[in-house]
Amino acid sequence: MNTWTTRLDNPLSVRLRDASVTGYAGLGLGVFAAFLAIPPIEARAVVWPILAGILGASLGVWTVTRGRRRLGWGAVAAGVIGIGLGILATRSSAGNLSSVFDATLFAQTLSFATPLIFGAIGGMFSERSGVVNIGLEGMMVMGAFWGVYGADKGNSWALGLVVAMGAGGLIALVYAFFAIQLRSDQIVGGTGVNFLAVGITGYFFVTLYHNNPIPNGVPLLPNVHIAGLGHFLEGSIGDLNILTWAGLALVVVSYVVMFKTPIGLRIRACGEHPRAADTVGINVYAIRYGCVVLSGVLAATGGIYLSEGPQGNGSFLFDMPQGVGFIALAALIFGNWRPAGAFAAALLFGFSTAIGLRLQVYSASYATLFNALPFILTLIAVAGVIGRTVAPAADGKPYAKQ
Amino acid sequence: MANPDPVSQTEDLVLEMRGIRKEFPGVVANDEVSFEVRRGEVHALLGENGAGKSTLMNILYGLYKPDGGEIRVNGKPVSFSSAREAIQAGIGMVHQHFMLIPVMTVAENIVLGIEPSKGFLLDESGAEQRVRELSQQYGLAVDPGALVSDITVGQEQRVEILKALYRGADLLILDEPTAVLTPQEATELFQIIRSLQADGKSIIFITHKLNEVLEIADRITVLRRGKTIETAPRAGATEASLARAMVGREVLLRVEKGASDVGDVLLDVKDLHVLDDRGIEKVRGVSFTVHAGEIVGIAGVDGNGQSELIDALAGLQKVQQGTITVDGRDISEATPRQALDAGVGHIPEDRQRRGLVLEFSISENVALHDYASPPDARWGWIFPGRMVEHAKRLIKDFDVRGGGPFTRAGGLSGGNQQKLVAAREIDRDPKFLIAAQPTRGLDVGAIEYLHRRLVSERDEGRAILLVSLELEEILSLSDRILVLYEGRIVGEHTSDVSEEEIGLKMLGGKEKTAA
Ligand SMILES: Nc1ncnc2c1ncn2[C@@H]1O[C@H](COP(=O)(O)OP(=O)(O)OP(=O)(O)O)[C@@H](O)[C@H]1O
Ligand SMILES: [Mg+2]
Repeated sequence: MNTWTTRLDNPLSVRLRDASVTGYAGLGLGVFAAFLAIPPIEARAVVWPILAGILGASLGVWTVTRGRRRLGWGAVAAGVIGIGLGILATRSSAGNLSSVFDATLFAQTLSFATPLIFGAIGGMFSERSGVVNIGLEGMMVMGAFWGVYGADKGNSWALGLVVAMGAGGLIALVYAFFAIQLRSDQIVGGTGVNFLAVGITGYFFVTLYHNNPIPNGVPLLPNVHIAGLGHFLEGSIGDLNILTWAGLALVVVSYVVMFKTPIGLRIRACGEHPRAADTVGINVYAIRYGCVVLSGVLAATGGIYLSEGPQGNGSFLFDMPQGVGFIALAALIFGNWRPAGAFAAALLFGFSTAIGLRLQVYSASYATLFNALPFILTLIAVAGVIGRTVAPAADGKPYAKQ
Repeated sequence: MANPDPVSQTEDLVLEMRGIRKEFPGVVANDEVSFEVRRGEVHALLGENGAGKSTLMNILYGLYKPDGGEIRVNGKPVSFSSAREAIQAGIGMVHQHFMLIPVMTVAENIVLGIEPSKGFLLDESGAEQRVRELSQQYGLAVDPGALVSDITVGQEQRVEILKALYRGADLLILDEPTAVLTPQEATELFQIIRSLQADGKSIIFITHKLNEVLEIADRITVLRRGKTIETAPRAGATEASLARAMVGREVLLRVEKGASDVGDVLLDVKDLHVLDDRGIEKVRGVSFTVHAGEIVGIAGVDGNGQSELIDALAGLQKVQQGTITVDGRDISEATPRQALDAGVGHIPEDRQRRGLVLEFSISENVALHDYASPPDARWGWIFPGRMVEHAKRLIKDFDVRGGGPFTRAGGLSGGNQQKLVAAREIDRDPKFLIAAQPTRGLDVGAIEYLHRRLVSERDEGRAILLVSLELEEILSLSDRILVLYEGRIVGEHTSDVSEEEIGLKMLGGKEKTAA
């Protein structure tokens, strides 16, 4: 029996007494408060967001007192944040606002989310099999440099992509050897990967390009043009990069692989209880090797998007990912080690980057604030405000056969 | 079917292990062990804690690599380098410490490794269907869709057996399957074993309960300190003769204890209510006292509130309502530390999850509670030398075998882990000692020692609360017996009560008079 339909069958008075309904209503009101002042509603008085926010927060408090602690506090937080954002929004001019919120915001959100999706899903494979991967950033740098190198020398973006994937897989293999075979500490090993990748790419950038920028005219990752969708849709999804679409497909495919196939079941078994997996004849080492290498390949695919995608435009900088690998890791944790969760988190973080960029139009400090959002949200998630995130039980624990 | 094997004309052997040797750093776990199993027999493998039974079976199952020796399955020499190969050769194993993944369902756990599929996809309904069929065929009731974290230990045991059967095992190894089962569940298990036997399967059955051996086994092999002592048919064996073969001396199978000399009330529980982790009220208004110099036994079927009661007494679970007083000190709001300091000792039900840090050494585990006070520490400093001395003393007193102070606790055999926990708790000199399943997985010699020790602790004036699923243990040790049913005490008896009467109450049987 679906609990939501039974709930909706009840009269309003009964529904209001259900703690989870008030909790979700509070959450909704909090979000609503933040959006009151921007199009299409454009309520310009400060009181409206404050009113909606306070209402949301109080519903939250009420929910807390009736036992649904997490949900209730979540609603309180949403209400307070909603008030803050709502006031900010009413303070700025309507003209600025419509330049901030438009169809291309959606496209930009997806664009910023793309490398995060690849990184987070890559990390998911590694961590679900029981190997912590904080080397995602380094694997991305590898993808960023070798991708643009391959595209430049081979004069084809597809070749660049293959080279990037190979480079990411290779450095992941090195990491896997240390983490799985030698059973070294995975945090130390992952940090090592990050430094190693910067070293390798830096060295080859200098030797191969003699410290000059990569020449113009490197074939870039193409965009996919879709015409005839109408104004808004065309603005948002009519001109997305090929990797963005691939990322969307990856979310679905990785979900199916991880949760609907035998191999996914085995991967999860290795991450939860490797000894149990061993006793039913699963080769824990082989699974972990495979997953770590795959995570390197995927992270590097996210990396090439930085150099060869619309933002990179065929250039390479030493610190190219600028923490994108770590934000991808945050998205993975925020999304509770699940593809859909990681995707939602990547979208949210991509959105905050896109907004941050646009807010620079009239305030640099707001922009910085939005750039910090992924980390703040992840902290909140880890602290358990909105549901609790649970890592695979054997994540980060090397496995030793007798 | 019965075509004689050329190697051994007289018997049809499924398994021959000859001269098996396995060393771990500092211990020879198996020393030239020989062991064979005939087709269709139930073969009991007996031995003290640390005798090398689990090690031998792990070698057979491909998990450990033997240092020497020869293994033949169905007459053919084999050398398994992984469990997969052993499974393919028709060997199934139910491990002493369960190998289940809590966050996955029963069906997923069972099919893991050999999953039914539809194209690329896992055939989930097919898996559940298959599990349901197997479960009906062998009379092992499980709910295929339930998460393993939500089921009881008895059910976990059934899932483990189904896991082996699903893989089509012809030779089934059961490593102490009854250690955590209630007597009723054990009886069910024996029926299952008989029906497997009727199906032509061979079974290796490891247990410390000698009555079970006499009930179910066709032949018996005894190991002692890594060596094979004897293989004998069941006919002619008695509990006493088996115990002698295992331990190498006469063992007292009955507890000898004098009348108790009851002193002041040391534990006073009043109207205690406790919720479990899911918020369900498991202890519903329990009141009782335990006096100095008295062993009070709590009898009951698993899951009737024992675990929550124990946790509340040890300060590990919040008390919803009511009070707990230890020697005049109210500890109902106490943290585990405060409970320890108030004089509560606790031998926990689950030694691996609650009793020990498996990655720590024996001496570190010994110092786990009192790392900050003498003898292990002084002036805020831990003295490793004293810690080691302390550990050595306990290892000797409680006969913990298989390592010294620096051995990793996880490397000890199951029974020796249990001894280590008991040693630490008793040695702390508690006023009130909770002994929860204190002899789970112990061999007869160790049980004899521990029982004698509990009685002598009682005689020294401690209050002891014994919680056990084994009725015999409760009856033979307790001075007073309380029966726990659905979170309430439904009966109080002296130790001369009959097993039947308690058994009936444990199942919630109504009585003429209700207290
Ligand atoms: N992984 C390991 N590392 C080190 N020593 C081990 C390991 N496994 C077993 N041992 C040692 O080998 C010996 C035999 O252990 P084993 O587990 O086979 O005993 P057992 O007969 O099954 O005992 P129990 O009845 O207590 O389960 C013990 O001394 C134990 O300490
Ligand atoms: Mg054992």
